[in-house]
Amino acid sequence: MVTITRPGRSVTAGRPAAAGHSKERGDRRLGYILVAPALILLAVVTAYPLVYNLWNSLHYDNLTFATSPKSFNGLHDYNVAINTDGWVSALERTLVFTVVTIVFDVVVALALALMLHRRFRGRGFLRAAVLIPWAVPTVVSAMLWKTMFDPRTGFVDYFLGAIHPAWSNLTWLNISVFRSWAAIFIADSWKNIPFVAIILLAGLQVIPNDVYEAAKIDGAGWWQSFRRITLPMLKPALSVALIFRTLQALLVFDVIFVMTSGGPGTSTETLAYLNFDEFINKTDFGVGGAMSIMLVILALIISAIYVRAFRPQTTR
Amino acid sequence: MRSFTARRAATLALALALAGTAAACSSSSSPKQQTASSKQTITFAISGLGSEGTYAEKQVAEFEKANPNITVKVDVDSSSSTTFLQQVGNAFIAGSSTPDLIESDVTYTAKWAAAGYISPVSCSQSAFNASIWATGTYQGKQYSCPWFLNVEGLWYRTDLVPTPPTTPQQVITDAQAAMKKDPSLKEGIAFEGDKYEGAITAFMMLDKAFGGSLNNLSNINTTQNVAALSYLHSLIYQYKIAPTDVVTYQEAQTGTDFASGYAAFSTNWPYVGSLPLAPSVKGHIGYIPFPAASGGQPGVALGGEVLSINAKTQHIAAVNALINFLTSPAQQTARALAVSDAPAVTAAYTPALLASSPVWKQVQTLAPLAAARPVSPNYLNVSNDLQELISAAYANSSTTAAKSAFSQYAGQVASDANASA
Repeated sequence: MVTITRPGRSVTAGRPAAAGHSKERGDRRLGYILVAPALILLAVVTAYPLVYNLWNSLHYDNLTFATSPKSFNGLHDYNVAINTDGWVSALERTLVFTVVTIVFDVVVALALALMLHRRFRGRGFLRAAVLIPWAVPTVVSAMLWKTMFDPRTGFVDYFLGAIHPAWSNLTWLNISVFRSWAAIFIADSWKNIPFVAIILLAGLQVIPNDVYEAAKIDGAGWWQSFRRITLPMLKPALSVALIFRTLQALLVFDVIFVMTSGGPGTSTETLAYLNFDEFINKTDFGVGGAMSIMLVILALIISAIYVRAFRPQTTR
Repeated sequence: MRSFTARRAATLALALALAGTAAACSSSSSPKQQTASSKQTITFAISGLGSEGTYAEKQVAEFEKANPNITVKVDVDSSSSTTFLQQVGNAFIAGSSTPDLIESDVTYTAKWAAAGYISPVSCSQSAFNASIWATGTYQGKQYSCPWFLNVEGLWYRTDLVPTPPTTPQQVITDAQAAMKKDPSLKEGIAFEGDKYEGAITAFMMLDKAFGGSLNNLSNINTTQNVAALSYLHSLIYQYKIAPTDVVTYQEAQTGTDFASGYAAFSTNWPYVGSLPLAPSVKGHIGYIPFPAASGGQPGVALGGEVLSINAKTQHIAAVNALINFLTSPAQQTARALAVSDAPAVTAAYTPALLASSPVWKQVQTLAPLAAARPVSPNYLNVSNDLQELISAAYANSSTTAAKSAFSQYAGQVASDANASA
């Protein structure tokens, strides 16, 4: 009796073929049944809207003129989307925001994860407390930060005023492009750093302590251990955190909608904000669809770059 | 076997296509109507605006009592007009026959009418204020009945400004004098400067005072329009009687500041008079149109809510009965007294209402003069452009900021306003 095990199936040699096939079929059916709810859900909430959006992007579909026929438009909506006032600027802003926020968030989250990985009194409480901002819905946290940046009633100007009186009445939102972005950036990072930190903390916890001890015996200092052991072994967790965070930053909308509505002027409008405007205000589902498909393509390209960059290297 | 399956599939597809076509044809024809006397339930979508929403439910209860065969289900949707638009829009897109009756902002009627989502109404023009009536007229047909109106004007403190100003320049000097007289004031004037629809009505009020207009969206870059925005800009940067914070002010902040005694002047709607007022403010408030500049008219802007009928409703008779009830002079007067919503029906300005507050006399006088936002199915796109224009001007401290903003956005406004299918 020899059992050959392969991933996902088990074939027992010597058993009658019919019984084996029957069990295999049963297992497979059970597998399909168990996976089906998730697949159906994904098909309904992800695949269908995506395909429908693709269809929209290739047709004229403007609800302001809902009585007009939804005729096939080819790539016209994509052309309109790219030539929409501010689309290129919004793309630039989105990319800059994504890069800046990712670098900052990952650096701070890594420091936070390293701190939470150490043994100290109250570590469990602190680990739970750190997650609170992430658990707060983005719209709520954005409203909180909008209030905190209010020049008259907010905490930020009060705090800055205590340091220097001239800073006691800064208007952050909708008057200075730099300060508006700074406020958005702070609100967004406050909310998302804990998420990255927790993923990195999980990554740190699976690095065996023996490796650090061996390095210590070999005379490695903290920095060498961090660079040669922690960072390389944290790569899988880092890649997951980067992909999630990059996609979130690329699609940033709610914090901007709540805090600045894209202002001053259009200077904090991102691609997702323009997309919202096209869908909700202009009710142009054709151009809106084209904008979102382009955003999806951009997200896929970035994800592919990450996957390639963080692909495990095989040793020959 | 294969050919049979393929044939069967083809037959099924054809049957589905025919059924779909039949459904589409039937949905495009007029929905079957129920008579006014039959027992039925209608849905009324309203914006959840605190006491205003609660009072609407009270009115509906009275209507049901008077019409026992009609039950009205009140759908309280978002108080944010953008979200409300989206919620009702979703029902329209889905081809739903409910809500049967919709309360909406004056600016939505043309958009919904162009899309075929709402049907013409049968209320009588002569009963209503002409300005708000005009907001519901699209391509010669009336698509909404006014429910209540709003007139944005200038509130001022009578203890700090004993004589109402008669020119825009005098507003500035009076505000400066008031700030000197009362150090507790945080601002000479508070106005809506945030990037939202309210910034447009505040601008339109000033625009009327400067002789400008947004009626010709193909060319908004006019001397008068630039002058009006430059004036508002100068209040922040040149005269510094409005703090830079006004770029984050919506009507709630301007109203609260005025009611709390922090502002000598405030642009806002009539409801400010019914806010809880600080002791120093109580009994010392006046409400006037923004004083006209040379070549301008008294500055007031129009807002309000209207009632529209879902084109797919099967209860037109019942819906019309509810509209007639809500727009009856008695209900309009009662609503004004209860929640300060200015009547859209001229006969509702009864001696009892006029005696209850001097604001009603002003509203009655000013409403016909008020500048209404352009009636266009593309207004929401244009509104977005105008918000960007105003926001861009306020964010730029240069004295030519308004001029630059109009130069930059006039083309975009024209293009969005003239967009067609």
